[in-house]
Amino acid sequence: MSAISTSSLSKTYVSSFGKKKVQALIDLNLNIERGTIFGLLGPNGAGKTTLIKILLQIIFPTLGNATILDTDISSYKIKSRIGYLPENHKYASYLTGGEVLRFFGRLSSINNKDLDKKIDELFELVGLLKWKKTKVKTYSKGMMQRLGLAQALINDPDLIFLDEPTDGVDPIGRKEIRDILLHLKSRSKTIFLNSHLLSEVEMITDRVGILNKGKLIREGTVQELTVNKEEYRIRLDDDKVNLERYSDKNISIHSSGENEFNVKVDDIRTLNMLIDKLRNDGVLIKEIMVQKNTLEEMFISLINKEENSEKAV
Amino acid sequence: MKNVWVIILFTLREAVARKVFIFFMGITLLVLLIMALVFGLTDTQSIMALMNPTGEETILVDIIRNLEFLIVNPLANLGLLLAIFSSASFIPVMLEQGNIDLLLSKPVSRTQLLIGKYLGVLLFVFINIFVFVFGVWFIISVKFGYWDASFLLISVLITFAFALLYALIVLFNVTTKSSIPGMMAAYLIFLIVSPLMLFYKEQLHLHIESGVIKLLLDGLYYVVPQTAELMGRMLYQTASGNIIENFQPVITSILFIILTLSFSIFLFRKKDF
Repeated sequence: MSAISTSSLSKTYVSSFGKKKVQALIDLNLNIERGTIFGLLGPNGAGKTTLIKILLQIIFPTLGNATILDTDISSYKIKSRIGYLPENHKYASYLTGGEVLRFFGRLSSINNKDLDKKIDELFELVGLLKWKKTKVKTYSKGMMQRLGLAQALINDPDLIFLDEPTDGVDPIGRKEIRDILLHLKSRSKTIFLNSHLLSEVEMITDRVGILNKGKLIREGTVQELTVNKEEYRIRLDDDKVNLERYSDKNISIHSSGENEFNVKVDDIRTLNMLIDKLRNDGVLIKEIMVQKNTLEEMFISLINKEENSEKAV
Repeated sequence: MKNVWVIILFTLREAVARKVFIFFMGITLLVLLIMALVFGLTDTQSIMALMNPTGEETILVDIIRNLEFLIVNPLANLGLLLAIFSSASFIPVMLEQGNIDLLLSKPVSRTQLLIGKYLGVLLFVFINIFVFVFGVWFIISVKFGYWDASFLLISVLITFAFALLYALIVLFNVTTKSSIPGMMAAYLIFLIVSPLMLFYKEQLHLHIESGVIKLLLDGLYYVVPQTAELMGRMLYQTASGNIIENFQPVITSILFIILTLSFSIFLFRKKDF
């Protein structure tokens, strides 16, 4: 069962007189399973917010189509099962936090009786209960984010879009928000997360997509994306052996610590040949590990690669 | 329908919070207080005796109706100018980024959003106008002992004139996301174009010989919102309890509102935010 499915989704912004065209999203095909946390990464202007806005019909695609919870995105009624926290959300400054939730709750067709209970529960959840009757104009940025999260959850949605949810939130608050998201996931909710904080995305997402200049350039689990298939770390039992002398045109070996070496090979066959050679020479291997990058390292290297290949073209 | 009602209620709440409602109500109550004082201190019986020495009831009714109209008409026109000014920003504020995103992410259609906002503003204007008209009617009725509630109908007519101009403001709001163009267009129609078109219809029409120009001006007369008719002759006829002779301005105004709002909704439904 898919929570989100897009097919050849494209968006081109055209300036007023049609002089300038910007392709914000190009032929995007994406499938997100229900009950998962999906993180969308990308540099500024990559098209992340554009994608969310198209899925919510705040803007319209130039080409392609999409479904949300197996319903075409053009149906506004499906939004009763969706929550959204935009990046720069604004609430009427004259309303109290409680009134903000009441307004959005009523727009989501929640009846007054259930709404009071729901509002209290959500304020408790995001840690704002004592601020419920305070006007939002006095809220700090972090409090606004918490209120925004509560607002996104007012209708107990099955699918939640969060655009930079921890923006302006202190580390303790970020941890609390992460815990809320994991709690939601445990209740089979699907979460679509846009965030610049890669370490955060790495901690909680099941799958990650990387968007650059409107194109989805990589998609997979964090594990899949961070594994560097051509790089391994070999730990030896003997500190007298220097593996660097085994380097040749197909193998590059560098010391990375005590008895540890980074090994770059073209393929797995070359790695096995190296292991055979080491074993023949009586070298005692303690551990061989696939070298993993952090999500941040992978992201930066991928974006740089894209930039370089574009320059080359 | 429920969504539209929620938006109407929160638009009223917005009007109260923005102090627009309180400002209008304050002015209304001040005017009514001054009026009550003036009437309280004036010996209206001797004035009436001078104006209507025979005490004939039809003349008395005429005098009262005209008095009510004389008080309400200039203030209603002024009120309309203020209403245009204060209501022009409701929709642009709703369309601001961060605000509209949230609204459009809820299970509410764009049509409901726009209609709800439009009706919310109309309700806010109507409440103010009604309080004012009711106050004037009540003070005069108490003073002269003549009670005829049909005078209160003018509050509907004044709100209708506002609805006509506000439909135009909404169209400009949706296309430009700004309050100023709509406000300027409404003032232009209300203060210049509509009175000019009325002047053409009543005075110049017979003197123009060219058929083409006549046809163009006649067409323009029916297309341009006829606020001058609504706030002039029709307001007087309603206030004085006379039968409205010509409903054409009402019919063309209703058509104008329907067409303008439909076009606004059409544009709003296609717009990216």
